[in-house]
Amino acid sequence: MKKIILFFLLIINAVPAYTQDTDSTESELTLISGYVRGERDKPLEGVNIVIKGTIDGSTTDKKGYFEFETEEKGNHKLLFTLQEYESKTIDIEIIPGQNINIDLIIRKEEAKTEEIIVTASSFTSGSNNAVTLTPLEIVRIPGADADIYRAITTFPGSNQVDEGSRITVRGGNPDEVLTYIDLASLYNPFLFDQTFNVSSYSTINPWGLKGINFTSGGFSAKYGNVLSAVLDLKSYDMPQSTGMFAWMGLANASLDGVYLSKERNFGATFSLGKLFLEPYFAINGKYSEYSPIPQSNQLGGTLSHKIGKTGIIKMYANYNDDKVGIYNESPTFDGYFNSSTKNIFSNIKLTVAPSSSTLLNAGISFSGNNRDISYGIISTKTDNTYSKARVEFTKNLTSKIDINTGAEYEYTGYDLSGIVPLYSFNIGNNAPSLNLDISEKTGRLGIYAESQIKFSDRFFAIPGIRADYLTISGNISYDPRISFGYQINNLNSVRGAAGIYHQYPKLDYFVRSPENKLNPEEAVHYILGYEYNNDNKLIFRVEGFYKDYKDLVLYNRRDLYYRSEGDGYAAGVDVFLKAKIANKFTGWISYSYLDSKRKQYESQNTAPSNYDITNNLSVVGSYNLSSQIVFGATVKLSTGKPYTPVTGSYYDKEQGVYVPEYGATNSARFPVYSRVDMNAQYIFSLLGKFAVAVIALNNIFNQNNIYDYTYNYNYTEQKEIITNNRRTLYVGLGLQF
Amino acid sequence: MKHKISVIAFLVMTLLINISIKAGSDFDKAMMKAKKNLKEAMDKSDETKLIKVRGQFERILQLKKDIWLVNYYIALSDYGLSMTGMASNKSDVIKKYTLSGIDVINKSIDENPEFADSYVLLENLNFNRWQYEQDKMQEIISATQSADDAAKKLDPNNPRLLLTNGIASYYTPEAFGGGAKVAIPQLEKSIDVFKTRKEKKDIYPDWGYDLALGYMALSLIKRDDDGDIKSAKSYIDQAVKINPESDFISKYVMKQYKEAEKE
Repeated sequence: MKKIILFFLLIINAVPAYTQDTDSTESELTLISGYVRGERDKPLEGVNIVIKGTIDGSTTDKKGYFEFETEEKGNHKLLFTLQEYESKTIDIEIIPGQNINIDLIIRKEEAKTEEIIVTASSFTSGSNNAVTLTPLEIVRIPGADADIYRAITTFPGSNQVDEGSRITVRGGNPDEVLTYIDLASLYNPFLFDQTFNVSSYSTINPWGLKGINFTSGGFSAKYGNVLSAVLDLKSYDMPQSTGMFAWMGLANASLDGVYLSKERNFGATFSLGKLFLEPYFAINGKYSEYSPIPQSNQLGGTLSHKIGKTGIIKMYANYNDDKVGIYNESPTFDGYFNSSTKNIFSNIKLTVAPSSSTLLNAGISFSGNNRDISYGIISTKTDNTYSKARVEFTKNLTSKIDINTGAEYEYTGYDLSGIVPLYSFNIGNNAPSLNLDISEKTGRLGIYAESQIKFSDRFFAIPGIRADYLTISGNISYDPRISFGYQINNLNSVRGAAGIYHQYPKLDYFVRSPENKLNPEEAVHYILGYEYNNDNKLIFRVEGFYKDYKDLVLYNRRDLYYRSEGDGYAAGVDVFLKAKIANKFTGWISYSYLDSKRKQYESQNTAPSNYDITNNLSVVGSYNLSSQIVFGATVKLSTGKPYTPVTGSYYDKEQGVYVPEYGATNSARFPVYSRVDMNAQYIFSLLGKFAVAVIALNNIFNQNNIYDYTYNYNYTEQKEIITNNRRTLYVGLGLQF
Repeated sequence: MKHKISVIAFLVMTLLINISIKAGSDFDKAMMKAKKNLKEAMDKSDETKLIKVRGQFERILQLKKDIWLVNYYIALSDYGLSMTGMASNKSDVIKKYTLSGIDVINKSIDENPEFADSYVLLENLNFNRWQYEQDKMQEIISATQSADDAAKKLDPNNPRLLLTNGIASYYTPEAFGGGAKVAIPQLEKSIDVFKTRKEKKDIYPDWGYDLALGYMALSLIKRDDDGDIKSAKSYIDQAVKINPESDFISKYVMKQYKEAEKE
């Protein structure tokens, strides 16, 4: 038996050797050759060609030519691959002695589904080619104080409301701008929001963002219930590494940590922040009396876990609070305006890619905002709650067509309790007042579908439609939208968009409407723009827009209700020029011209909108003096905001106060707004670790920009309320470890 | 009957082992050939050859064996291509191949997270990001540090890790805690390890000895203490002996030495 086994072993071992010998002497080689080209017949170098299942193949040379010999026979698949190009497989039949010649054209890969779609009016960052704003730029823009919203106001189309983080876009109200983070709507991403003469600050950390897409109009059908602009932020799904970053500044301190497991399938982050202004006021002085001094705390974190090869679940939570008391004088009350706010936001997002061409995103989020205010007779508590569930599905149908569809349900709750004055002009401690206890809630269901269609290498269009249903009013709105882009050549392109946009009025207007009969406010956007982009080294963009509004909320003086009877328009031109010179200099100039008029809220006639800033200019520059030192400066200049002047008054014996008489709505303007900010950053090694020191001088010419006007008791004297953002020095030190 | 079944089973097993050995030997042969071509392309910083050898490794993926190792070499080819972009000052080339290299080496790490050399390569690729995205300074520092820590945990005496640390110190200004004085002991240690190091398999990466000697020579030239220039020459000679084909040694390092010698 042993002999038999040995015999078989010898036979088996001999087989491969025999076969190899036979092959090398008797088999015929087949030559496979050809050319591979890309668009416009451009020869492609580096295309890898391989017979599937073997290592027989070659790589194309500079002329796109390849050739190789093979001993294979019969039917095979020949695979062509090149980075950034679509892979192609072709069937071949190899017949010994018959050479094969192949000429092939392969196409560049389409943008991946996760990438941001370029539309008109957008400024984006991330993996997209049209990068115009990066996290570092946000941090480095002088005067922006590392705040994403303030940074955005140096781009065309947007303006600060009060030198804080709240922004207004193309003449719209601040509430018409919606921030999304990882599919969730972020309604209160601010500290000191809408607090009298205290600048608001964003709670968003720019370093945690992998994509920033700000669109000032003509945005995609995926964004619902928003009238003017969208800031869509995408955070990193998984931390990029493990480490900590500590920051200590004249007014604040923070500690951030990130952890990435060795297997890179689990990540966690945390963030702690505290604001303390005593040292800042000690150096810069105080321009108002505070009790208490503005203070805030922040705590947040994320947990991420990879599921299988293509899935990831991410949980995010953030809490912040703020408190301030600021002294203010008004015709009927002098005293402290007190505000105290608590915010919580949480989001769970699941992403899976069931196949290489399909992406599924689902998420649920909750946010709560609780605010107490007191000033004179005013003493209110407001609770806003929002929760949202969303699912989004994206598929590459073909190399030319992507579809994206989704649905969302959003719950909104609004509770207001406390005392409010009966007449807005009298807020004294003994003023006539109302005790309120209001509770309102609604749900909104939204669905959308859109498709990105590439008609040619140069022309694409994104048609889409969405529908929203609001439970409180029973209204359904339909929003067809379209955007397109035409690449004239490698440098020049034209983009445009048109569509209908709806946004439901806030719940406090429903409270004061007849039987909740308020329509969604409507805007029709028309946008056309041209862009020159030389590899992001030089970008020039000019864009014209027109917006037609209807169903704006308007106060009806006949029945004292709010009704959907307002209308208006906004028209203008945005110009943007950005240059980057050899990693030494980056800078941009943005200019906007705007004409925006509305009949809305208390304004009974068509008048300039509250944020009708006719001319707005920003100039930003940053210069790398060396690899360690960077200087920057920002200049801002704009037409003053409109306001409604008081033209007279009469005495009300019953209340014992003067009642103001107003002129035409927004018929007067604040003086021209101007401000120059500078900063410098020094990067160095401290205790062997990366460190960065920042020195910032804001409003260096100490320009007394006006925040608002107030009046004496009988309105005969107008008094300026100067912004608290005078010349200030800020220093800070960050250490990474 | 039982006897017959055992014999058949034994024969089938032998057949399978034989096929597997043949496949393994095809793989090793192809890998060794591609590895040799990669070395030649890297020595001459030849973009065309690097593109070809990258394709060669891609074709080896078809054998579906040790995919993590093949991916390591694809990423190493990308690194080489990224370096050619640096030499020709083409930021689009640096970016294209650095991004590709990071993507591929991460795939390799996903498949085999225990291979220290992959993290060393990831660290080097991340260094190249400085060339085109200085705005992500903090992120790059974190990524390089994180890769360095991972490599240290797995193989603290990896000579390519020590070499990478030495090169990083050489190029880092003294104000940032770098400089030739810091680099020299790191490179010395790397050279010591290279002298005795034998990789577990021939197909595993073994590059870097000549580079360590070359950077040692450059560091000594930069430090320029008494006898440093003479010592630099001795390191250059050793490097040329190990790898006479390296343009980096015979052209760049030698040129630096000759200039220093004149002074």
